[in-house]
Amino acid sequence: MNAIHELKKRRKRNTVVVAALLAAVLAIGVSCLFVGSSDMSFTESLGALTGYGSPAHLRIIWRIRVPRVLAAVIAGAGLAVSGLVMQTTLNNSMASPSTLGVSNAAVFGANLSIIAFAGGFLSTGNNLSSFDVGANPFATSALAFVFSTASILLILGLCTLRSFSPNVVVLAGMAIGSIWTAATTILQFYATDVGLSAAVVWSFGDLGRATYRTDAIMAAVVLAGIVFFMLMSWKYNALLSGEATAKTMGIHVEGLRFVSLLLASVITAACVSFLGVIGFVGIICPHVTKKLLGQDHRVTVPVSCLMGSLLLLLADTASRSLGSGSALPVGAITSLLGAPFFIAIIFSRKENRRC
Amino acid sequence: MLKVENLHFRYSRTGDPVLHGTSLELKQGEIGILLGKNGSGKTTLFKNILGIEKPKSGALQFNGENLLKMKRRERSRRIAYVPQDIHFGALSVFDSILMGRVSYFGLKASHDDYLAVEKIIEDMGLTDFAHRNVDELSGGERQKIAIARAMAQEPKLMVFDEPTGNLDIANEHLIMVEAKKLAKEKNISILSSLHDLNQALTFGDKFFFMKDGVVKYAGGKEIVTEAVIKDIFDIDVRIVEIENHKVILGGNYHAS
Repeated sequence: MNAIHELKKRRKRNTVVVAALLAAVLAIGVSCLFVGSSDMSFTESLGALTGYGSPAHLRIIWRIRVPRVLAAVIAGAGLAVSGLVMQTTLNNSMASPSTLGVSNAAVFGANLSIIAFAGGFLSTGNNLSSFDVGANPFATSALAFVFSTASILLILGLCTLRSFSPNVVVLAGMAIGSIWTAATTILQFYATDVGLSAAVVWSFGDLGRATYRTDAIMAAVVLAGIVFFMLMSWKYNALLSGEATAKTMGIHVEGLRFVSLLLASVITAACVSFLGVIGFVGIICPHVTKKLLGQDHRVTVPVSCLMGSLLLLLADTASRSLGSGSALPVGAITSLLGAPFFIAIIFSRKENRRC
Repeated sequence: MLKVENLHFRYSRTGDPVLHGTSLELKQGEIGILLGKNGSGKTTLFKNILGIEKPKSGALQFNGENLLKMKRRERSRRIAYVPQDIHFGALSVFDSILMGRVSYFGLKASHDDYLAVEKIIEDMGLTDFAHRNVDELSGGERQKIAIARAMAQEPKLMVFDEPTGNLDIANEHLIMVEAKKLAKEKNISILSSLHDLNQALTFGDKFFFMKDGVVKYAGGKEIVTEAVIKDIFDIDVRIVEIENHKVILGGNYHAS
């Protein structure tokens, strides 16, 4: 019985890690509500949070900061867990939520909306003065989502025609992704200056676009994904032994891969469509998790989610504090964090064995 | 028990056939050794038996059941695989063995699954490193974990692909003794490919010599002759008997 006892101890440790991270996400999430580009004092923020304060303060807290913090938690978790699932199901440690060209397709959709159809994006940036003025931010997001979903279905459809091997998926994703990028370039070539700059700003990735409605949609998709990924933990663990071995253990590898890639990509599509491109969360967080806690998906799925939330919360807070007056694009901050980390992975010897 | 009949297989529609008309038969509790040059189709035959690949034609039967119509999950409870290059991911030894039971529990391991793994760990003498990470272990130890994982599937047949390929002599011996013990004590059949002909003679009950995608010779120790080895491997050897055991001597004895 010694082994089972040992096992329970280990499980307890994992529960402690998850609980600690959850507490950290909550604590940092709440404290992020007190930080922003507007000059609100701590007491003013606290007042507004509890329902007292000037209409402007109430609006900053409840219409801007709360949905923004929620977006960071939801999108961070979604992007990180998508990255983890992509890496496992494609057996490729460099796979990311955008491996199937999701981001490229979303950027094209958004560009099409902004440049060709003069979509409502211009009044929905992180420009506080016009925040509440008319304009439907859904037009751009909807088109981004439509194109990214179409791209996913196209790639997965193509791959099921032939063998559904990881390399085929990755290469098809790269090829289709580059088509979207090329189409975007052509579109931007014909754009007006205003249209072009709006399109470029869109692709920066900015949590300031979040509203309760977009948060709710993202939360639904991300939660569905997380529940599915958690249920499949053992099957992902089996995949770590290689595709052939997993098959001999009774795993329907092709089906699992198809559904996992579809869900991970749809999560990414939802996040990118509403918030713009946010790079590297999906690579950094799964890698840090695997390095610290090993590869058991019963642990890495929830921990990656929490790491993602934490990273995006911190990056967003940094982006709001660093830009004087307006927030820096959070996508840039996560990427700035990502590059040094990647270099660390490449030069770390232990990493080779674990990821 | 395992009956392979007239199996045909090729990897792609335009590719050369790798198996053409392969047949073999193995009884419960027997250790069958598959011998042949690289590229003769041994691994491909294993893949077909294990359900990793699907044959173009032919029949695969297991205790009278049609393996080709069997669900993967069902098949994995009858036939387990110990692959040549063993990966586990950064999991503990215990979890790695528990993974073998995934076809029984599906989503979440039950207490009974834990107990089953516990018993395997005790039986195989793995208690000392049950909680280490698999990727910290040596090649021989990992091979043993792979066997333990296969055992957790409670199979009737275990397929070993070059089980001793990456091991030193001591570990090689250890693994083969372990395999033989399983076959004889638990009445599990074993089908294994091996390179070392003497090792094959020591551990095998039945021998299958493969050449160009077919099993050309099959039978007990009596079929292992100088002529057969010359035909299959294109090498000259001498077979001598020492204390009633056949021993194969390499080198070009006939030419000298």
